[in-house]
Amino acid sequence: MSAFGLDKITKLFQIIKVNGGIRASLYKLYRFDDLKDGKLVGQDDFGNKYYENPRYFFGRSRWVEYAPQFNMDYDGSQVPAEWFGWLHYKTDLIPTQDKDRPKYKWMLPHTENLSGTTGQYVPYSTTRPKVEPWIPKSSKV
Amino acid sequence: MNSSATPKWVAPSADRPRRPLATPITKYPPDIPGYKYVNAEEQDMSFKAMTNRAAQTLFWTELARGFAVTLGHVFKEPATINYPFEKGPLSPRFRGEHALRRYPSGEERCIACKLCEAICPAQAITIEAEERADGSRRTTRYDIDMTKCIYCGFCQEACPVDAIVEGPNFEFSTETHEELLYNKEKLLLNGDKWESEIASNIKADHLYR
Repeated sequence: MSAFGLDKITKLFQIIKVNGGIRASLYKLYRFDDLKDGKLVGQDDFGNKYYENPRYFFGRSRWVEYAPQFNMDYDGSQVPAEWFGWLHYKTDLIPTQDKDRPKYKWMLPHTENLSGTTGQYVPYSTTRPKVEPWIPKSSKV
Repeated sequence: MNSSATPKWVAPSADRPRRPLATPITKYPPDIPGYKYVNAEEQDMSFKAMTNRAAQTLFWTELARGFAVTLGHVFKEPATINYPFEKGPLSPRFRGEHALRRYPSGEERCIACKLCEAICPAQAITIEAEERADGSRRTTRYDIDMTKCIYCGFCQEACPVDAIVEGPNFEFSTETHEELLYNKEKLLLNGDKWESEIASNIKADHLYR
C-alpha cells in the first residue's frame, strides 16, 4: 500500500471522516486553509479549540481552530495568554495542568488586538499639564 | 651550541625523496573518498552515449522530469506553517510587548526609580514621579514610545522590582502611529492581561536569573 503512496489516499479519507464529512471538511478547508486530523487537547474561554498531532513536524504539530463566532474574522491575537505558551511550544503543559500559572483576582480577561475598531487604545496624558493656558477675562460674561 | 643535536632541514631532492602518501595517487582525478572533482568533465563520445544525449534533447525528457518533481512536491507536506492557526516556537526569554506588573495583592510594582529610563538606549521611556496620598513613591507618568523601542530588554534587566517586563506578545501591530505611544494605563492593562504567561516565563527562566 505505502509503496505507491496509496496510504496517503486512505489517510485523506480518514481526515475527512474525522473532520465530520465532506461538507464540514470543505467549510474547514475554506476557513482554516488546511485540513488536519488531531487530538483535541483543550478549549479556552472564547471557544477556540486546541489540537495536537505529532505526526506533523514541529511547528505544525500544534494548532488552534478559532471559535465559530469569529467566523472569518479570526486573528492571531485571539489566542489568550494562558494558551499562548502551549501553542508556541514554550511549554508542554496545558493551562489546567500548569500549577505555576497564577490566578489573581485583578487579572483581566484577554482581548484581541483592537486596533482599527472603536475599542482601540488612544494615548492620553496621565499627569496634570505643567503649563496652564491664560484665559483672559472677558467683559461680556 | 646544540646545532649538532638538531639536524639541518634539507629540501627534498632525487637522493632524498618525499615521504610517500598513505594512498599513492596513480590517476587523476584520484579515487580518494571525500575528494570531489569540480571541473568540467570530458563527455563520453561513444556512439551509445551520443545517441542517448540526442534522444534526451529530442524527446524533452528534462521537461518531463522537471514537471514530475513539481508534481511530487504538490503531494508533499508543506515546509511552511499555517499562521495564525499554527505558530512557531518561542522562548520564555522572548522580548515582545512591554507590560507593567503588579504584586499578587494588586499593588503596582513600579517605584519610579527611573533605572529603565536611564538605561534605555533609544530613550523611549519617559517617567514622572510623585508622592501618592498614602506616602509611597509611584509614577504618575510612565510612557513608552513603542516606535522608538528597539526591544533590547535592558529595561527589564535594570528593573529592581520586576515591574517593567517585555512580555511574550508580538501581535500588537496597529493601524496608526499614535496607538503605539503607550502610557502607564495601557502598560498596566497589558500586565493584567498577560500576567499568566509573564509569570510562567519568569518561572521557566528562574534558574538563569
